[in-house]
Amino acid sequence: MKFLNEIMKSEAYSLNDNKISFQRYINQLTVYHYKRSNLYKKFLNSLKYKPNNDYQIHELPFLPVRSFKQFDLLSVNKRDIYKTLHSSGTTSNLLSKIYLDKANALNQINVLKKIFFKTVVENKLPMIIIDKKNNFDQNSYNATIAAIRGFSIFANDIVYLLDQNNNINYQELNKFLSKNKNRFIIFGLTSNIYLNLIEKIDKNKIDKKKFENSILIHGGGWKKILDKKLNHNDFNSLLSKNFGIQRVINYYGLVEQIGSIFFECKCGYFIPSNFSDIIIRDENLKVCETGEKGMVQLLSLLPTSYPGHSILTEDIGEIINDEKCRCYGDGKRFIIHGRLKSAEIRGCSNV
Amino acid sequence: MNKNSINYLVGKNAKLNKILSPFSQIIVFFLDDLSKTLKIINKKKHSDIEALSFFCRKNNIEKLKNNHFDSKVIRFGLGNLFHITPSNMPTNFAYSLIFGLLGGNSNIIKVPSNDFQEMKIICKSINVVLKKKKFIQLRDMIMIVKYTQNDELTKNFSQICDGRLIWGGDETVKNLKKFSTKVKNIDIPFSDRYSICLINSEKFLKLNKFNSNILISKFYNDTYEADQNACSSPHLILWSGKTILKAKKKFWSLLNNLVVKKYNPPLISSVDNYSKFVEDTLSKKNISSFSKYNKSLYVISLKKINKENFISKTKWGYFYELHTNNLTDLKYITNRSLQTITYFGFSKNFLKSFFSKNNFNGIDRVVPIGQALNINLIWDGYDIIKTLSREIDIR
Repeated sequence: MKFLNEIMKSEAYSLNDNKISFQRYINQLTVYHYKRSNLYKKFLNSLKYKPNNDYQIHELPFLPVRSFKQFDLLSVNKRDIYKTLHSSGTTSNLLSKIYLDKANALNQINVLKKIFFKTVVENKLPMIIIDKKNNFDQNSYNATIAAIRGFSIFANDIVYLLDQNNNINYQELNKFLSKNKNRFIIFGLTSNIYLNLIEKIDKNKIDKKKFENSILIHGGGWKKILDKKLNHNDFNSLLSKNFGIQRVINYYGLVEQIGSIFFECKCGYFIPSNFSDIIIRDENLKVCETGEKGMVQLLSLLPTSYPGHSILTEDIGEIINDEKCRCYGDGKRFIIHGRLKSAEIRGCSNV
Repeated sequence: MNKNSINYLVGKNAKLNKILSPFSQIIVFFLDDLSKTLKIINKKKHSDIEALSFFCRKNNIEKLKNNHFDSKVIRFGLGNLFHITPSNMPTNFAYSLIFGLLGGNSNIIKVPSNDFQEMKIICKSINVVLKKKKFIQLRDMIMIVKYTQNDELTKNFSQICDGRLIWGGDETVKNLKKFSTKVKNIDIPFSDRYSICLINSEKFLKLNKFNSNILISKFYNDTYEADQNACSSPHLILWSGKTILKAKKKFWSLLNNLVVKKYNPPLISSVDNYSKFVEDTLSKKNISSFSKYNKSLYVISLKKINKENFISKTKWGYFYELHTNNLTDLKYITNRSLQTITYFGFSKNFLKSFFSKNNFNGIDRVVPIGQALNINLIWDGYDIIKTLSREIDIR
């Protein structure tokens, strides 16, 4: 695909106006999927949408994330699928299925690298992963394992905090800490960081001081630790109080669009890269004004083996207008307010 | 609330094991007293409590007695009833209790863990009325409890009961069936159901503006008042007659006006409806057209009534529609899950003779548009009073 090769040469963030080329590429991607996926074609036809290259970004159709649970959406031959990713849902829910061919998976890694090295740190570092060791050689894995696998490419030495029984492996951890005296990265799901690093760990068994210079990266949301009633600031100050960790970076990304993820800037905002964009939509699915809360639509230039380049998520977000924030140039900044609530319906079923 | 703890909202010391005959005087008086007390305590005028209060009036109960009870036969309640009530209908537990009391039974009511204001008002009212000396004997017959995830309690209650009213759909029914009961226990399972609406297009077009709006507003109440998520809210509209296209246009545009003005669902409804729409466009073969009037009114027109028709339970104002000129076509969309048909433009006599001639395997209620949510002593195909009591046959 010619246009993708072009965009892959792009920087993670560019100061010049990137909008026009993003618009051109994302339209090409819609045409591309229209031609290759019968289901996607059916979807566009039902909206009476005629794909061409002239649409504004907000005019692009968006698939609801639930479609990836209900259907096998793919734009390549099934035999060319290299990995299948799943959402990390519970067994009672259907899981999303994201089909990746080799080219798509490679682009994800390349873009993740561009973004990471621009926003987090410029080179590889040792890494503590707040999880247990997983097997990456499977044909399919869930969002958590996909994230760990993705981030582990930034490590030149890895230790997993948990053993296979989910107990903290102090011996391995201390071995790592004595070996890596300088800066290192700590990576994990937000909930795992809280449950293990903040709640579970016995601080007498480790040398806390060694964490002071580390960079902690977390993502995946607060859903599993909602009962702790924590906010973003509490979380960061607990990490600072307990370990002296000063640099905590939240990221936002969906299994449907791995690679083109959003890292929180120093001002606390997520910022789209050259490979992604965000639109906030109201209850009528119309575009919200800046500063208005609504549903998050995510756009990414990476999905080629499946039609996931424009999706409506079930997260609530808000575009922020903060003229003081100059991180990674101009452009949109946004925050995420969590998930849509599901249990408010009336009726006679037992939810 | 602690996971294992039980919270008694009414009747902590109720001894249970008391029975009466159906429609006993003391119950009629108790409900009438409750009706008045509800009115006083319901300061915020919750409409569903007003409806409950109206239901409990002596006049209404005596009317029900005349329709549903033959005073010449000797009947008594089964004994103890265990009611498992749904989590998202704040007044449903009260109707379940009324069913139990009118049948002459002692009742253990498990209410949902949600903190509904309506639930608090109802329990408070019951407690006020039970304090009165004249109702002393009823104090043993009403126990209202709240607990979450406690199989031990559910097991114990199931073992002492002679009947269980299991609301909440298939999952709840399946779960409750795991607990053993007395051998003679009778379960009334309220499983997942869906409902449809039958409209005579010619009669509908003849309605003047005023009467059209009344009908639309009744339809709105049947549907949107319960987020279309009640079993008896219509999910499919079956049009009959010769002027269907015109009637559809008028019906949906009038409904759309009302929905835009009145209905205010949570944000997730927009995603639910949009996702359902995409799901249908990608998977259903029998669709002729889609119309999205607004975020809370999607209409999916199906091509032809035949065996391939599907009806799935929808919510938040998502409808399927079909047309036919031969009502016996109903057989294609009827199964045991079809509960209520609301109708307009047919006479009761016509429907009586039609349904008595056609042995449909399903359909438990046929009521005019506007009465979908009205709970009655014949519900879900059961004669509630007869099912919850036993007859002594003396010859």
